Amino acid sequence: MNAAGVITAFLFAVIQYNMGLLYGTVGEILTERSGSLNLGVEGTMAVGAMGGYLLGCSFDSIYAGILFAFIFAAVCGLIFAFLTVTMQANQNVTGLTITTFGLGLYFFIGNAVKASGKWPEMSPDMGFWKGASPKRIPLLSRIPVIGEALFSHNILVYMAIITAVLVWWYLKYTKPGLRLRAIGENPASADAVGVNITFYKYVHIMIGSGIMGIGGLLMCVSLSGSFEGSNTWTNGFGWIAIALVIFANWNTLYAILGTIVFGLFYALKANSGALADTFPGVLGWLKSVPPQFLSALPFIITAIVLVISSITNKKTNQPAAMGLNYYREDR
Amino acid sequence: MSGIGKKRVKSEPFIRIIKREGLKKQYAALFYVAAVLAALCIGALLLVSLDVDPINYYKKVLTIGMIGHAFPYKLISNFIMNLVPLLITSLALSLAFKMRFWNIGGEGQFILGALAGAAVAFSLPSGVNPYMSVILMALAGGAAGGLAGLLTAFLKVRFNTNETLFTLMLNYIALYMITYFGETKREWNFFLRADSQRPKFSTIPGNTVMPCIRIGDLSLNISFIFSVALVFLMYVYLKNTKQGYEISVVGDSMNTARYAGINVKRVICRTVFISAFLIGTAGAMHVSTSQSLSTSITNDVGWTGIIVAWLAELNSFAILLVSFLITVLRFGSMTAASEFKNIDSHFADLIQGIILFIVLAADFFIRFKIVINTGRRKSDEEAYVK
Repeated sequence: MNAAGVITAFLFAVIQYNMGLLYGTVGEILTERSGSLNLGVEGTMAVGAMGGYLLGCSFDSIYAGILFAFIFAAVCGLIFAFLTVTMQANQNVTGLTITTFGLGLYFFIGNAVKASGKWPEMSPDMGFWKGASPKRIPLLSRIPVIGEALFSHNILVYMAIITAVLVWWYLKYTKPGLRLRAIGENPASADAVGVNITFYKYVHIMIGSGIMGIGGLLMCVSLSGSFEGSNTWTNGFGWIAIALVIFANWNTLYAILGTIVFGLFYALKANSGALADTFPGVLGWLKSVPPQFLSALPFIITAIVLVISSITNKKTNQPAAMGLNYYREDR
Repeated sequence: MSGIGKKRVKSEPFIRIIKREGLKKQYAALFYVAAVLAALCIGALLLVSLDVDPINYYKKVLTIGMIGHAFPYKLISNFIMNLVPLLITSLALSLAFKMRFWNIGGEGQFILGALAGAAVAFSLPSGVNPYMSVILMALAGGAAGGLAGLLTAFLKVRFNTNETLFTLMLNYIALYMITYFGETKREWNFFLRADSQRPKFSTIPGNTVMPCIRIGDLSLNISFIFSVALVFLMYVYLKNTKQGYEISVVGDSMNTARYAGINVKRVICRTVFISAFLIGTAGAMHVSTSQSLSTSITNDVGWTGIIVAWLAELNSFAILLVSFLITVLRFGSMTAASEFKNIDSHFADLIQGIILFIVLAADFFIRFKIVINTGRRKSDEEAYVK
């Protein structure tokens, strides 16, 4: 492969294999903005992916897949909202339970379908496959080197960026978005001016979870929907999404950047050999970087960001009421 | 504004929810039993949908595959090997949770403990007797886990760093650390076998293997005795010592604690250190029992421990019971997976999740009371009096 080809492949990998992270992060930002810390991202993504893929394949349409991924994951969100908002359960425990339950359900359904011999394999003659194949954006995709890398992805990747921008706009400029942020900062005040806290929390936790589910579907499609009994498609990205929320300072536009930065580390893990061989002078050192270090890097960086932002006491966008349940009569 | 105010008063909600001061213990226990049964029923429905006989499956799970086994001793000691780390971790976590300190870093602290324990095991001279070496390993593991906990606690009290998120990050940093040691073949890496071409964790020296007390054919592992003793110790520590009292005051209200002259920062640092120390110890002892490191050495105890501690309402004896039951479920579904090909061991996660969902929902009825507004003021007053 020539130098340009290596770079293109690398950049392509950065985008294609990591945009699932953006969905998870955007969904979690929406959730946390409502004052709820949902640690169930990993499970929610897995459930969404499983539901979306199986039903998407049986309807043979990627759009059905997206819809069902959203619905399945939103149901996880509904469980979380019901337990934490209505039933006042502890958010940390509920979130972790969503993850345990979600992964359990993922393996249960996956193994059951696989054992029955009805697992849908992706094949080029399927409508689902066609829908999930890369769409080139005219003109832009013909730019040398970066065109192929940035503008020739499947519809889910483009949707990730659009979702992130939409959520950013929603939170910053619309009335419900502003109200939501008020709930995340100070629910009692929001309640006092007549915002229906319960309704807002339910809706946003569910939409946030639904968005995570689409991310799971993207990761499943990136792996051609092949199910193994030991690994999840989401592969820990749900946890990285929680980290990325902090790194992105609860801003979905930064989340796009953050996804690319974190994605770089992951793409480096797979492509460091090729990069080092192609550019031995500049990137030769890549070979001596342990891949496990690259995997840990998002977490190391986030831990450092957490510590530094708390030491400098810099005002972050972390919602003040995050993780606390709102019980009206405690006012 | 006054218009809105009037409207509010007029439409008093029909159903109101008020806090209640604890429910009788028996009722609470009944809730939990019902939750478990309900979860098992949902599980049974799922099993039926796969054409699996649920009774047959549950029998296999609940007896951890002992039926039809001529010599279940091996099974029992395997079961204990699974139980001990979970029990110690849950007890340790309950200590921090009692203070409302969200240490979700059990996974990481366990791994750090295991690494430190293994490092000690590989560097001890072969003359050291097993008891001594296990104690040294446990101390080293505890120190490693404890320091990670102390760092979190220090950052929390000094800079108010969010402990949930910070410990979450440490979990993954520790996980990739052990993966690094497990996959990197180097001269200095004494964790790996020298005689194997491919990276493979080596077995710990014989004199560092967990000693067992033999009772007939059954061998009781020392760490099991330690973990059961810890249940009692923890109970006494929380109930009858000054430090335990301080923990519960800090957990109830930090302001009250400060007003009462308790050094809150010190209590938090000390408690989290002890909590993480114990988890590290569990990690080191697990290395000694299982005789080798592994990248999946935690067996999710850090996560499951949170669930156990919560289900047991942070009560030490309840933790003993719940961790026993959860281990039956997890270990049992592992053994059952060999017979039922289409259900893997993750079925335990599913059931565990459903149990906790129901318990979390049921908790609501234990902590709150629903009052239906009948229009008469009296009913409300009564509710308040109760």
